[in-house]
Amino acid sequence: MRRLTFLFWFFLFFPNIVKGQDAVATTEQFIADIFEQYTAETEDEIDYDTFYEELMYCAKNPINLNRTTREELQRLPFLSDIQIENIQAHLYKFGKLQTIYELQLIEGLDMTDIRSMLPFVFVGDADDTFKKIYWHDVVKFGKHEMFIRFDKGVETKEGYQFLPEEDENAAEENSKNYFGNALYHSLKYRFHFKDRIMVGITAEKDAGEQFLGNKNVGYDFYSAYAQVNNIGKVKTLVVGDFRANFGQGLVLRPDFGMGKSSYVLNVSPRNSGLKKYGSTDEINFFRGAGATVRLGEFDVTAFYSNKMIDGDTVNGVFSSMYKTGLHRTESEFDKKHTINQQVMGGNATFTHSSFQVGFTAVHTILDNRLEVDKSVYNYFYFSGNKQTTGGFNYRLRWYKINLFGETGMTDNGAVATLNGFTFSPLSQVSLVALHRYYSPEYDTFYATAFSETSRINNESGFYLGAEIRPYKRWKVAAYVDSYRFPWAKYGIDAPSIGTDYLMQIDFAAKRNISMFWRFKYEEKQSNLTQDEEVMPLVVPTKKTSLRYNLNYYFGKFSFKNVIESNLARQAETDWTYGIIASQDVSYAFSSIPLKVDVRFQFFDAVNYDNRLYSYEKDVLYAFSIPMYFGLGSRYYLNVKYELTNRLSFWFKIAQTVYADERELMSSGNETIMGNRKTDMRLMMKLDF
Amino acid sequence: MKKFALLLLVIIFYSHLFAQITNNIPSSTSIANTGTADSNNWTAFNNPAMLGYLEKAELGLQFENRYLISELSTKSVQLGFKSNIVNTGLSFSHFGYSLYHEMIVGMGFARNFSNKFAMGVQFNYYTAYFGASNSYRGALFPQVGLLVKLSPIFNLGFNTFNPFQTNIQTDFTIKKLPSIYSLGSEYFFSPDFAWRTQIEKEISSNYRFATGFDYRMLQHLSIKLGAYNSDYLVPCIGFGFNARTFLVDLNCELHPLLGLNALAAMKYRF
Repeated sequence: MRRLTFLFWFFLFFPNIVKGQDAVATTEQFIADIFEQYTAETEDEIDYDTFYEELMYCAKNPINLNRTTREELQRLPFLSDIQIENIQAHLYKFGKLQTIYELQLIEGLDMTDIRSMLPFVFVGDADDTFKKIYWHDVVKFGKHEMFIRFDKGVETKEGYQFLPEEDENAAEENSKNYFGNALYHSLKYRFHFKDRIMVGITAEKDAGEQFLGNKNVGYDFYSAYAQVNNIGKVKTLVVGDFRANFGQGLVLRPDFGMGKSSYVLNVSPRNSGLKKYGSTDEINFFRGAGATVRLGEFDVTAFYSNKMIDGDTVNGVFSSMYKTGLHRTESEFDKKHTINQQVMGGNATFTHSSFQVGFTAVHTILDNRLEVDKSVYNYFYFSGNKQTTGGFNYRLRWYKINLFGETGMTDNGAVATLNGFTFSPLSQVSLVALHRYYSPEYDTFYATAFSETSRINNESGFYLGAEIRPYKRWKVAAYVDSYRFPWAKYGIDAPSIGTDYLMQIDFAAKRNISMFWRFKYEEKQSNLTQDEEVMPLVVPTKKTSLRYNLNYYFGKFSFKNVIESNLARQAETDWTYGIIASQDVSYAFSSIPLKVDVRFQFFDAVNYDNRLYSYEKDVLYAFSIPMYFGLGSRYYLNVKYELTNRLSFWFKIAQTVYADERELMSSGNETIMGNRKTDMRLMMKLDF
Repeated sequence: MKKFALLLLVIIFYSHLFAQITNNIPSSTSIANTGTADSNNWTAFNNPAMLGYLEKAELGLQFENRYLISELSTKSVQLGFKSNIVNTGLSFSHFGYSLYHEMIVGMGFARNFSNKFAMGVQFNYYTAYFGASNSYRGALFPQVGLLVKLSPIFNLGFNTFNPFQTNIQTDFTIKKLPSIYSLGSEYFFSPDFAWRTQIEKEISSNYRFATGFDYRMLQHLSIKLGAYNSDYLVPCIGFGFNARTFLVDLNCELHPLLGLNALAAMKYRF
């Protein structure tokens, strides 16, 4: 009765709820919110490409809420584990949803969450059987897409400037330059039939890599995959390039994991299982085949990968893997495909109602031996040519508490364990607690889990987070994280401790105006850089930042203002500051299929410790979260034009101008003379 | 000679105080130069979005005398036209004296979108006279502005002058032109009482924080109080006379080191 009464009033007074944001806007908003924070925290490249492609795929193949699983809902990264549990609990308790409006009845989902969900979900038939695939349907209803992208810098970099042959230093100097031209180019082909059959090919040439010449012919990187889902007992079958993610990521998770951000409840990684891979990241994937078979309440997965990777191999030994994927010069080319890597692994997961337990194992064989150049910080890093890692993971819902965790062990007996719980005592309050312990000796190839640093070892810590909605339109999110490195880390030559605090207050003033304030404080230890010190001195480093973000739109115009400032100091030195401010304007024309984004931004962060990051809009499947360090301004124009229903174009031009008297930028082959750097991107998408 | 030496001293001091790049753009008639979000006031070479709020054509003249030295004065004239599609503005300013002077000519276009927000762009040609070569050199650059009425009592303004950091290049030297980013807000306690704040950054100079109150005390008289801080705290006071079609503004600011800076502006609305 309560449900019927609610629906009656809801239909009567709120007919516009379903006018949600579009999928691109939601995805971009999430990337802007969360990846900007991850980028600021990690030293690794983040693979936005895969993330974006998955969400876009999800928008084209929306999730049927009446036939959904936890795994499917986990594809929506803006939903917390608690919200996913609540959706499932609601479906279990009340049966299938009658209408999308009913989402309002689910605990812990507010209008912002529902608006974010709408492009990716629908309310359909509850029939949970998968229909048989007929090839004529595949041919008739399958969708093909082609993406072609070109990037080019306007200023000529040092690596593309050749001395004339008459010059006596020409031979030596020119040999250090790039083999290829300055054009970046990528080509992607995608085919999918619903969410059942997916095929893709990716080819890429980075700027400076040779396309046709004596060193290389064709693209520098090729990737291809074919994936079939839900054919009889086979849940997933993938051939070609793929990724395998299981548990909390202590054993196997090449994808990015959730970390510390203003989405304080999202601490568990998403997307378990085998998954096609079509990104241009040349490192983090497997090449071979894998399958997941459903046997009653068990899902059993096995896979095998065999591929060549890059490294500084000399006489059968290498000291590190070369992970940039760039092969532009003689020295970079010498590292290309010098190591054969074989990976075999598997997972068995048992799921019963709200209880899940799984076991994951992975074995890696390298044909050359990895011998790390040992120093203090990397004393426990893995050396050798074979490694086996295994681990158990679990998940359990007990009353209002969701427990989760994983414990992994490498073949040297080192242990890593992560355990936590989320719960929501009231619909307005959600809490999370997480403890992790990663032994200094634990070092495995494919781990990505909740951590202060990107390498999963040598860390223990405790994280507490809370999300509170005290009043309508207001949301407060906060976390504290206290951690310890029991052994030296890179840049910290002694055991050390650290603490992070974050608080974000969101306020949706009106339907078209929203804003947030984000305060962050972190204190950790680092080496004091003083030449006269014989022994490294480890001292506290403090950094605090405050950001104000304002979004508003009127009709076809949308605007965004951001002001962020920070203060940093090492030991008792003076505080130094960094400031960034930007104004964004976007306009979608109504008479022609054209959308324009413009930004002007200035930055003032003289010290590297005060560096700032800012997400900016880009062409489809390209992401920019540049780091700002120095004094200057940046502006860009980003245009999208849909020439026909099948053919779309994106173009972006961006320029950074430094005002800090510098006469050149970057170093080595990337050096640009002057204080301006201009980049252009062109993207074409063809549907057929 | 004594006068010339004094002038030289003040110019050097002035250049130093106002950081690395001298800013000879005409000041806004809004108190403490808080014109970025002042929705009722379009001043030449300030936020061009304000041009979008013109209800009638107007002609304005302005004279700004820095520190009671005529050689450091800026004279400007502005003309705005109203139309249904886009409002147009023409502006001209002159700074300096015969041995050294700078001139700016601008043509701006702005539109008010349903009274929710206004956007404007202005194209400026900045010319400087170089005594060493007895020649004029100049550069063309844009200026972009935005004013958003987030609520009936709160406005947010954005303005960027010379965003691409264009400079004037001569055979011997590069004259850096000011590249300014400013963000301002305007809050109305009542229709007659406005409070404005502004943060401004000339890319090579220090930040400037400004705030000011504008109170229409009588039907034809307003009083303005404000202050800004950029190296030094500078208090400001001003008066406005409004006789329907005819507006007069008188603003003064007292620099603790350099002394009095005075501005007088007249505007006629057709």
